[in-house]
Amino acid sequence: MAAPRTHREKEIRRHLWIYGAITPYVVIAVFPIYWMVITAFKQDPDLYRMDQFPLWFHLAPTWKNFTYLFYSTNYGAWIINTMVIAAWVAVITLITAVPAGYALARLRIPGSENLGIAVFMTYLVPAIILFLPLSRVVSMFDLQDSWWSLVLVYPTVTIPFCTWLLMGFFKTVPAEMEEAARVDGCGYLGALLRVVLPVSVPGILTAVIFAFTLSMQDFLYGLAFVAPGDQKPVTVGVPTELIRGDVYYWGSLMAAALMVGLPVAIVYNFFLDRFIQGITGGVGK
Amino acid sequence: MTVRSSSGGPDATSARVAAISVASRARSSGWLRSQSSRRLGFGYLLLAPAVLYVLLLVGVPFLFSLYLSLSDANVGDPVASFVGLENFRAALQSDVFYTSLRNSVVFTLVAAVFKGLLGTTLAFLLLQPFWGRKLVRGLVVIPFTLPISISVLSWKWMYDSQFSVINWFLSRMGLIGTYGSPDWPVWLGQPGWAIAACIIVNVWRTFPFSAIVLLAGFTSVPNEILDAARVDGTSFMQRFRHVVVPMIAPILLIGFLFDTVFTLSDLSIVYLLTQGGPANATKILPVLAYQVGIQSGALGRGAAISLFLFPLLLPLMILLLRNLKRREY
Repeated sequence: MAAPRTHREKEIRRHLWIYGAITPYVVIAVFPIYWMVITAFKQDPDLYRMDQFPLWFHLAPTWKNFTYLFYSTNYGAWIINTMVIAAWVAVITLITAVPAGYALARLRIPGSENLGIAVFMTYLVPAIILFLPLSRVVSMFDLQDSWWSLVLVYPTVTIPFCTWLLMGFFKTVPAEMEEAARVDGCGYLGALLRVVLPVSVPGILTAVIFAFTLSMQDFLYGLAFVAPGDQKPVTVGVPTELIRGDVYYWGSLMAAALMVGLPVAIVYNFFLDRFIQGITGGVGK
Repeated sequence: MTVRSSSGGPDATSARVAAISVASRARSSGWLRSQSSRRLGFGYLLLAPAVLYVLLLVGVPFLFSLYLSLSDANVGDPVASFVGLENFRAALQSDVFYTSLRNSVVFTLVAAVFKGLLGTTLAFLLLQPFWGRKLVRGLVVIPFTLPISISVLSWKWMYDSQFSVINWFLSRMGLIGTYGSPDWPVWLGQPGWAIAACIIVNVWRTFPFSAIVLLAGFTSVPNEILDAARVDGTSFMQRFRHVVVPMIAPILLIGFLFDTVFTLSDLSIVYLLTQGGPANATKILPVLAYQVGIQSGALGRGAAISLFLFPLLLPLMILLLRNLKRREY
């Protein structure tokens, strides 16, 4: 082939190279999700055979796996549990992390820099070290076997992370605004409520999203603290209750996984950069 | 939105400027110092709920787990007695503990190598400007954004002993025989394949994270600095070596440490794929701690096992702490 002459030809060539190189990564990343989708819509006789191309339908697609979940399992209850748990976690997180983030960023508390890092470090104390003592705490509050136990423990993950995130966010709000408000006769609380919070809505919304997505990333706490089938969050109910003994109903399992996983993945996708900024200490802040 | 005098327009701006200058003059004349006790009181009041929550539900439980590990606490029995280091001694004398410790370390190290390789190459590709880059980026990060217990299920199905889609491809490519032949890998049933299967899921889940952290690092290097270095007559390699690498190293280290802490302490992949089997081939410390502490109800034993993770995690966390502090300035 002749050497590319025009700029356009060069660009096309460069794109072909990049697409060729990046396709394997995309395939590896997406294939398990594709496999979920195709399995969820297949009829059983289409699923359990090895003589045909497995990545496409050979019998008509079906909704049966989805309806089965809602009619014959606790799936609906798990989804509701998860949403209610996440909503409570978000409320607790906001009530605690917004003021704390603001105080650390703005009120010039001695050692606030170290205090902020100390709070963030607790985010890194893994659940595996805390779950046994927390199981005692949970039974102390008489919350074992109820999803309220998770409302109690999930904020141990979300508060440190969101405090850190909001601390970075409040630092970007111009200090002049508050000072002007205070000169206008607002107290500290007035300045916070009337000036800082209204311009911080994007940061606060981000914290809410993380309260939801970080709650959905848990498996251990839900597994260890909540035994009754109808009390589980969906991320624990699906892998523990839908698999019974040695029989796997892969069609409905994948349908269940898909309906939870896809929305979370899409929402999280939009906030991933904020997450990375958060953990790397505010890159590009 | 902030201070707006009733007349609006240019007057509002001048009012604000006046207000700001008053504020800054006030600061220099000690206005703030006279307010400082009130400010601090308000600050501590705002901090209290978060700090208390974290102290009571992370700090106290952590100390409590130290206490548990020194007791014979059981799930059914509220009264526990002090047994000294008995739980640690018992762990150190059991073979399954050493197997788990070794598996944990191997798992974490091997996974780190592969996610590092995949993540770095992916990051370099994503650095290039090309049409559809945003979409590609959105697709490749999906593994990291899916709830972990959900995506593991898809892998469990892909590793099915008889209907594995991976084996279907391998078989069609002629790399393995058909179902039942001796070279047909039973992914979750054979010790070597089982640990590989668990590592693959971890790598799949976290290589996008490595790539995104690396990208964040690259984009944090200001172009002005690179331009300045270029004007100074440096070569590409010199700029990479003396400007880019030192600037992104702390971010990379933070990402690496963060990931290691989570990989080392994650139970869900192994628990859902193999429960530590076959014959403890995939048993890692988190799974062992869960099985001993919750499933057999020996809280004290379980706490002791999970605390063995702490000396592995502590140096990582200290490194992380030092890096975070450095990045603040």
